Amino acid sequence: MVRRVAVPQAEPQAALVALRALTLLIAGFWPFLGAHAARAQSAPVVVSPPQASAAASVEAVDPSLSPECRVPGSKLYTLARLKAVKAALREHRPIQVLSIGSSSAGLGASTPYPVRLETALERSLPDVEFNVEARGLPGEIASGAGERLRAMVAETEPDLVVLQVGTNDALARVELDAFGDALEETVRWVKSHDIDIVLIDPLFTRSLADDEYYTQMVRKVQTVAANEAVPLVRRYEAMRFLSTSGKAEAHTLGQQFRLNDLGFRCMAEHVTRAITLSLLKAEPASTGTAGQAPVSEAEPSAAKPPVTPSPLPN
Amino acid sequence: MREPNAIDFWRGFALVTIFVNHIPGNVFERYTFSQYGISDAAELFVFLAGWSIGLATRGRDGTPEPPLRTLLRMVSRTVEVYRAQVVIMALALAMIAGTALALDNPLLLEWHNAGQFFADPIQTMVGVVLLTHQLGFFNILPLYVVLLAIAPLMVLASRISRALVLALSFGLYATSLVFELNLPSWPGEGDWFFDPLCWQLLLVLGFTLGEWNRATPRLRAWSRRLTPLGVAIVALGIVLAVYEIRPDPLTVPEPRLIFTFDKTYLTPARLIHFCGVLLSFQAVYGLIVPWIGPVAPFLAGLGRNSLAVFSMGSLLSLAAQFVRFQTGGGVIVDVSVVGSGLFALGFTAWFVEWRSRKPSPKPLS
Repeated sequence: MVRRVAVPQAEPQAALVALRALTLLIAGFWPFLGAHAARAQSAPVVVSPPQASAAASVEAVDPSLSPECRVPGSKLYTLARLKAVKAALREHRPIQVLSIGSSSAGLGASTPYPVRLETALERSLPDVEFNVEARGLPGEIASGAGERLRAMVAETEPDLVVLQVGTNDALARVELDAFGDALEETVRWVKSHDIDIVLIDPLFTRSLADDEYYTQMVRKVQTVAANEAVPLVRRYEAMRFLSTSGKAEAHTLGQQFRLNDLGFRCMAEHVTRAITLSLLKAEPASTGTAGQAPVSEAEPSAAKPPVTPSPLPN
Repeated sequence: MREPNAIDFWRGFALVTIFVNHIPGNVFERYTFSQYGISDAAELFVFLAGWSIGLATRGRDGTPEPPLRTLLRMVSRTVEVYRAQVVIMALALAMIAGTALALDNPLLLEWHNAGQFFADPIQTMVGVVLLTHQLGFFNILPLYVVLLAIAPLMVLASRISRALVLALSFGLYATSLVFELNLPSWPGEGDWFFDPLCWQLLLVLGFTLGEWNRATPRLRAWSRRLTPLGVAIVALGIVLAVYEIRPDPLTVPEPRLIFTFDKTYLTPARLIHFCGVLLSFQAVYGLIVPWIGPVAPFLAGLGRNSLAVFSMGSLLSLAAQFVRFQTGGGVIVDVSVVGSGLFALGFTAWFVEWRSRKPSPKPLS
């Protein structure tokens, strides 16, 4: 899980090594300031991603993720409460998850994304059963997609909707306000029926990095998530981070496709992380006793003793 | 080549509407009738398909053709439509992949349901030929294949009793609505975008009304009398569509599909609205034909060659989506892509008829 390096190495640029070692030390110790302190061993140093830029490695990457998927928490998600899932947990019933979106897995992946998500969720919360249903959005955009989503939600009656949003609208160049309004309406509708929703913004690819419209669309998803107080998995930012880090692994189709592949593979983990941390997010009224949030760089204040993720708060 | 007529005209009209609606976000979309009602061009297309089956399975003098010939004719048509679906799916997937490579943009691989194919080609390729994997906008022909496959049964049984066929069809429709029966997608989860178990009713309605219309003038008389009702339904549809008033599928009583506006299951609201459209527009062709000049023969030409035109239209609208995406869209782009698309559809219709007129060349030996 945690990779280590022998810090002092015989390299000519000693100053650079020292600087890097320092950042790595900060990066490595950051999680251990919290709950992992109990498990802290002799001078472990987290070095993932190995070639992270100095700026990026100031903030710790998330050690609960697979090495190739590690992204600093602030780039990975914004959190919000998930009331319906918590209620289902209290009733000790399986959590019904409806995953809606266009992508299913990495190119040629052996395991489809919905299965990956279910596995990752159950690994993250071992005593809880998750049933993930997946649906694509075939041929609708903006408010039309909202209509289709309503029908899917009515059909599957989930506790939680995980919605990948923006791809088809971006491809159709839907007007940003129309897109934002439709998304906001959808999110409000889902919430009004006591169903939780997690948004995932569209992917990052270099050919669209300077596309003003596309970046504004990603920002629009963030705005809606913030206004409606729902968790957001920042796939765009996560992939952008991964694109600047990691080994220059070859891909037959080129760099952008490799990144895309990696982004897919990591998405289930990233979504799971956001859901788990959102679940552990304390209710404002709660006293924060047993089962309080374990460590997370998103919640640096959570310096409480570590607990197994289940049973959950409240 | 038959003269322009109302059936071909409206089929052509539906094809143009589908073409424009399959380029989501373009400026002409808001001028299609689909934006001003609960039902859309898909209903019109399937209904007219049913009506045409009645015409196709009778001789020039109106006598029903022998049952075996009907059976073979429908099987042959089913194979033709199936072949068209497999070919356009292959071309569409190649267009998506090729564009993604050329633009170095993997986002395109996530285009409506295409991600499934590129992520898991081994299973999905099987799904493509089984018609259980459908790209967005490429989901009408699978419905049509199933409908044509059951069409011989419909045609032959209705020679015994039209009422029986209607009753069976309606029974299947109602059962599917109540129990939410649909054909499954595979390998992706979920169901078909157009539920054949529900949409078969529209084909049977088209066929039966066509037959009834031939047999007796009473249908025409009644539908004339009911025109005001149709107009009222269409007016109500406009209000509901413009103000986006529709039932919330989570608050309607069970069985919810009786009450919602759902395209997949052709729910009653859509069916009633479509009947209103039929009643309102039944006489419109005769009224407008003197005024629209070459538009009538153009649309009728598209309608006569609906399979080829539909297939080309699907691919052209996909290409148009990519052009809009890469250029950023806008009025000039939309006018160009829709204009050249309509020209290409017209050419397709002309080309198909030219090819069938031309004596086929001697086989190479």
